[in-house]
Amino acid sequence: MELEQLLNHVPEYAKDLKLNLGSVTRQPELTEQQTWGTVVACAIASRNPQLLDSLLAEAARHLNEQAMFAAKAAAAIMGMNNIFYRFRHLSGNEKYASMPARLRMQVIGKHGSDPADFELWCLAVSAVNGCGVCVEAHEKVLRDKGVNEETVLAAVRIAATVHALAAVFDAQPAPAAATV
Amino acid sequence: MLGVGHKFPAFSLQATVSLEKGKAFQTISDEDFGDKWKVYFFWPKDFTFVCPTEIAAFGKLNGQFLDRDAQILGGSTDSEFVHHAWRTHHADLKDLPFPMLADVKRELCSALGILDPQEGVAQRATFIVDPHNVIRFVSVNDLSVGRNPQEVLRVLDALQTDELCPCNWQKGEEALKVSI
Repeated sequence: MELEQLLNHVPEYAKDLKLNLGSVTRQPELTEQQTWGTVVACAIASRNPQLLDSLLAEAARHLNEQAMFAAKAAAAIMGMNNIFYRFRHLSGNEKYASMPARLRMQVIGKHGSDPADFELWCLAVSAVNGCGVCVEAHEKVLRDKGVNEETVLAAVRIAATVHALAAVFDAQPAPAAATV
Repeated sequence: MLGVGHKFPAFSLQATVSLEKGKAFQTISDEDFGDKWKVYFFWPKDFTFVCPTEIAAFGKLNGQFLDRDAQILGGSTDSEFVHHAWRTHHADLKDLPFPMLADVKRELCSALGILDPQEGVAQRATFIVDPHNVIRFVSVNDLSVGRNPQEVLRVLDALQTDELCPCNWQKGEEALKVSI
């Protein structure tokens, strides 16, 4: 379903989210690639198939192939790392920190898109998945790369909005194949 | 013999790459596979008994190595024509999916230090070489002992599971430099 069409099915009680999506995808703090890569990564992390379909189709109009790949890769790899490193942290047993992860994460080094943008998408996904250590670590790397707080927070606005919309469509799916 | 941390020597050798007429031979050098990992393995002599088993076993795992961005390269001190004849006459080697290097002048094997002092042929050596052409794993079996390609795959996996994610960062450490 076209994004615009899907958003018409956002119930009245969630109208703020619908309007927020419009505004957070037009923030001057973010480049077009940063914006739509964040949308893609967070839509995958937020798991609602209807919203994901529509957002992917829309994002494809704004992203080149490499950025699309990298944004999806950020969602995929952080889906693993957020769980793994959060466990390490939450367990309270320091021994785990000294044990090897023994998990492949090669794509972090070879996604082929802009490294800072990739970090930003990883951070946004970490915010969705709720991993404190990952949020802290990626935020620090971004700041070291010269990305400012305004840009970071703009990406987190997208993460928050996309995640909330996914929950709404989980609770209340848009009627399928609403032919106009 | 060269060990872990050494640069793999530069070479340019004739190789047998297929049985197709006119496409059987190719010159292959250390720089042909760009940013891939390389798995080099050598055997003493074509047409001997232990060799085809393990060569075919590497062949069966070729897809798994490719999935890990690794190029397999087999080799011995036999000429490319001997390789070709062997492949033609041995059912297990007909469809071998990787090149067989012909180190006729023994320059590569000498540089690697794997020429058997008694027999003057390559020892049963295996090298895993990273995309920067640095040797990351070496093993050598006595001439009569075959190898286990599954074990080579396991080592490659272990070498590729660097914790590239900044999430691995520990408080008090320097920020992790993600190599891109």
